[in-house]
Amino acid sequence: MRLLCTHLHVSFPSSTGSVPALRDLSFATRDGEFLTFVGPSGCGKTTLLRVLAGLLSPGAGRVERITGPDDHNPSVLLVSQEHNLFPWMTAAANVAFGLEMQGVLRNEREARAQELLARLGCAGKERAYPNQLSMGMKQRVAVARCFLSDPAVMLMDEPFAALDFQTRMVLQQEVLDLWEQDRKSVVFVTHDVEEAILLSDRILVLSEGPGTVVAEYEVPAQRPRRALLEMNGELWELKRHILESLRLAAGTARYACAR
Amino acid sequence: MRPLQFIAARFWLLALLLAVWQVLAARRILDPLFFPPPSKVGETLAAMFVSGELGRGLYATLMRTGLGLLAGVVGGGLVSILLCVSPRLRTAAQPLVSALYSTPRLTMLPMVMLVFGFNEMSRLALVALSAGLVIVIQISDAVRAVSRDYVDLATNYGASRAVIVRKVYLPACLPQIFTALRLCTGRALVLTISIEMMSSNNGIGSMIWSAWQTFATEKLYASVMVAACLGLLTGPLFHLLERRFVPWRSVQA
Repeated sequence: MRLLCTHLHVSFPSSTGSVPALRDLSFATRDGEFLTFVGPSGCGKTTLLRVLAGLLSPGAGRVERITGPDDHNPSVLLVSQEHNLFPWMTAAANVAFGLEMQGVLRNEREARAQELLARLGCAGKERAYPNQLSMGMKQRVAVARCFLSDPAVMLMDEPFAALDFQTRMVLQQEVLDLWEQDRKSVVFVTHDVEEAILLSDRILVLSEGPGTVVAEYEVPAQRPRRALLEMNGELWELKRHILESLRLAAGTARYACAR
Repeated sequence: MRPLQFIAARFWLLALLLAVWQVLAARRILDPLFFPPPSKVGETLAAMFVSGELGRGLYATLMRTGLGLLAGVVGGGLVSILLCVSPRLRTAAQPLVSALYSTPRLTMLPMVMLVFGFNEMSRLALVALSAGLVIVIQISDAVRAVSRDYVDLATNYGASRAVIVRKVYLPACLPQIFTALRLCTGRALVLTISIEMMSSNNGIGSMIWSAWQTFATEKLYASVMVAACLGLLTGPLFHLLERRFVPWRSVQA
């Protein structure tokens, strides 16, 4: 499935009228592409993903979901930054939630959830409740639930932002490995430029809020990738360009506000 | 900690106070007419048990509390559902519920009797009203406190409204539902015994009041002790139920 967004505008009501979060934002995903948005905090990244997930309707503009012939499950699922596990369900039940909603029978969905948890190094944690899991384990469970539901597009909102460096690297690798199996489209959001380069095929830079796309980069690296991606000269150059775009984007917004 | 140590750590102060009281009463430093020694109170309690007086009193009080609670919890639950479904009704009902909640329950007994008559129905109705108010207030708070994130999460995975109620709202509110049940059970017990003291010829409250009227102080202390024990038992009872039905809350990392 491809997502086609045209001229999205989103604002939130506030005491002094309304605060714009996204401004004239247009882009399209490609089939099987790992697309990442980078942007400064407050650029409307979370808002964008909520619009893409269908949880928020844009004030203006539209999101089209263009289904292809092999999209059996035309859903668009979001992995958010936190509060993404039900505290009253065990890890296995959380992972199996998507299958449960699809009507898969209990035995089958539990077996598949356990298999995936074991693959992610969470064997023995199936019966644990989220408050017994470490931050890394929680995010694994959330990612596992998303992959197990096999959506047409996956949306990930800084899923590793709250993790320490080592855990983050492990999870990045796990997500890369899981993704390599089917290569469904992913829209990923992060403020970490190196993470964006490591994971994505294409990177879009958002301006400081209200967010809009200010630059676009292709990532010239081979797949499959390793989480310890060797930053060769070309990739360093890319990182420098992206950081420069971010700096300019922040400047533009300030300039626009000052005017 | 071993069971014996556990008991010793909790009850030594109580045992000490009882022992001091026993000695003071036995040596007549305390007037035994006003402060009969604990051993005498114990004997009276045993006699009340053997004669069946205690059993009848307990039965009457527990039946009243139980039936009132049942009616109140069911009624309160239904009203809560109504208020959750209709925000307009909720807004309009809020002042009424708050006013009723802040009125001391016992002061409503005469009015309830004007409605239902001078009979058992009035007593049950007041206990039910008291329990229902706790349920309505706690549950509508709990429902409003359910995080939008969990509703969004379920919606994102394609859950219908009915599924969201069953899979998100219900479990999210369960801890507070148990708190509400524990609260209203304690209050129902207190209220039942108070009502019995004022207007009943059976139950623990009535036993306390008639012991006072006839100045049977040993019986008085014995009955009050029974009332205290009833109240004490509700805590652990609900603790056990909560551990069984809200497991994610009691387990910690």
